[in-house]
Amino acid sequence: MNAAAQEIPAKEILAVSNLTRIFGGLTAVRDVTMTVQAGEVVGLIGPNGAGKTTLFNMLGGSLPPSSGSIRFDGTDCTGAPSHVMGQRGVSRTFQITSLFPSLTALDNVRSAAYRTTRAGWGASILRNAAYRREEAELRRKAMDILVFCDLDHRADTLADAMSYGEQRRLEIAIALAAEPRLLLLDEPAAGMNPEEGQRLVEMIRRIRARGVTVLLVEHHMRVVASVCDRLVVLDHGVKIAEGAPAQVLNDPEVIRVYLGREPVDA
Amino acid sequence: MNTNSHGHSLAIAGGVAALAVLPFLAGNAYLEHLLVLWMLYALLALSLNIVIGYLGELTFGHAAFVGVGAYTSAILSTQLGLPPLLGLPMAGLVAAAFGLVIGYAALRVVGPQFAILTLGFGAILFTITNHWVDLTRGPMGITDIPPMAIGPLAFDSARPTYYLVLALVLATAWLCHALVSSRTGRAFLAVRENAPLAASLGINVFHTKLLGFVAATAIAGIGGAIYAHYIRVITPDIMGVHNVAALIIVVIIGGRGTILGPILGALVYIGLLESLRVAGPLRMVIFAALLTGTVVFLPGGLVSLWQRWRNSHKAENNLPATPTGLPSTEGGAK
Ligand SMILES: Nc1ncnc2c1ncn2[C@@H]1O[C@H](COP(=O)(O)OP(=O)(O)O)[C@@H](O)[C@H]1O
Ligand SMILES: [Mg+2]
Repeated sequence: MNAAAQEIPAKEILAVSNLTRIFGGLTAVRDVTMTVQAGEVVGLIGPNGAGKTTLFNMLGGSLPPSSGSIRFDGTDCTGAPSHVMGQRGVSRTFQITSLFPSLTALDNVRSAAYRTTRAGWGASILRNAAYRREEAELRRKAMDILVFCDLDHRADTLADAMSYGEQRRLEIAIALAAEPRLLLLDEPAAGMNPEEGQRLVEMIRRIRARGVTVLLVEHHMRVVASVCDRLVVLDHGVKIAEGAPAQVLNDPEVIRVYLGREPVDA
Repeated sequence: MNTNSHGHSLAIAGGVAALAVLPFLAGNAYLEHLLVLWMLYALLALSLNIVIGYLGELTFGHAAFVGVGAYTSAILSTQLGLPPLLGLPMAGLVAAAFGLVIGYAALRVVGPQFAILTLGFGAILFTITNHWVDLTRGPMGITDIPPMAIGPLAFDSARPTYYLVLALVLATAWLCHALVSSRTGRAFLAVRENAPLAASLGINVFHTKLLGFVAATAIAGIGGAIYAHYIRVITPDIMGVHNVAALIIVVIIGGRGTILGPILGALVYIGLLESLRVAGPLRMVIFAALLTGTVVFLPGGLVSLWQRWRNSHKAENNLPATPTGLPSTEGGAK
């Protein structure tokens, strides 16, 4: 997370070209082309069913695209499976709460740090110096992440037993544990009260300050407008607008798409 | 924290010491024989627990791998004259090779479909063993299997065998503890808890499961070989469904996902099996009822009773509670 902070700005970390996903007769994502620069926070908005989650699933590797291509950090990743995208540094949270329910918060984060650790079963059997060093380091890092997500007081609590707001923060802690270069957040503020939403905004700002590029799907326009550098708007799987938040949110087309479906200001 | 792990080490040292003197307390050959069976079941249950407890997949094929190991070492020693001590690693290797092939095919699917596939593969191995008379002597089984020996030290009776299997149980317990306190084992638990999330974090779900499955089958094969050289006779029955059921019962009743659980479960199983001898075939009904009762009322198994007690104890003293249910990376015997 720290190394990426020194990244030269305006380096393209993600390039999506003509991406399409068809489910039976339904085109969930149609011919979407977009890029994300390293260090940016980009908001992906659009009404329910617009194809935002489907796009995330393709970027995360859990869903192969029907056509088009995905480049991450200069490498073609089209159709790469989920664990390969994870290894390359794309982490994600899921729209529906997704964590390791019967593990403690600390173990959730430690398990999630798979990508950043090396000492495996063999080293653990031998309890060699490399193992002990890495485990101590991992514990420290995991506690740091819990502090970062304001969950350190819950380190020994089962994920299952946490409040909804805590679980949503734990999901972000899990994603951060993988030390991603690109973080995909799918409606992290869903179901949060305004105070929790504000906390989330602060958290996203600090994540970005650590040098992580963020792609954010969110319905709470206050959250979107206050953290995003740029917005991309999807409707019926098609990209209909793109640009600075103030400009996009005043776009008559975007307003038309949102009006009559749900309030822009949630 | 430190005093706690000190307490753990003391408890483990005490437990191992107690296990070491047990045969002297047993007093007769019959009880010593039961101790051997306890340790054998504990060894096999610990291996099955890697799949059921850590990977969270149910397999009905485990007894087949025990059988592969038993037959490998039995055939090598009776037909080729290989010393049983060399047969032991061979049994582990051959069982692991079967585990690799079967796991590679079956682990493409998960949940009930995987369980049914393992049942199918187990049945195939049983049938082959039963019918390939030239190699296995079919239903007649293999007799006159030589006892295990390390140099001049022969494991031809219960007491020395007990110590041999005890050593293997302790080694396997250490392997399991090392597993869950490593990156590899945490990947196992992540896959058990939430495979899509695990994958998104860079964990190759299929490879992780295959590793666990192969490790489990290798240990099962070694356990089978020990059994063959101890009982000196094996028949295809070793691969039968009753053994499959027994091992699953041991793991679930004791506490899946823990180290102490399978060892405790094996003790309960062997103890009940012997004390309920008068009940005859009814025993299996009693075990089935126990299994159902555990799944419904005590999903964490017998070991979770201890955690419950400790938590209520802590609650009285206003200390933070530790989680019950499926114990996680803390293992069972830390
Ligand atoms: N696995 C799937 N099978 C069939 N249709 C799907 C699947 N996933 C999503 N869809 C459809 O694709 C469209 C876009 O869904 P989604 O990407 O979840 O939208 P959003 O996240 O923007 O609300 C919806 O019409 C949805 O019903
Ligand atoms: Mg969605």
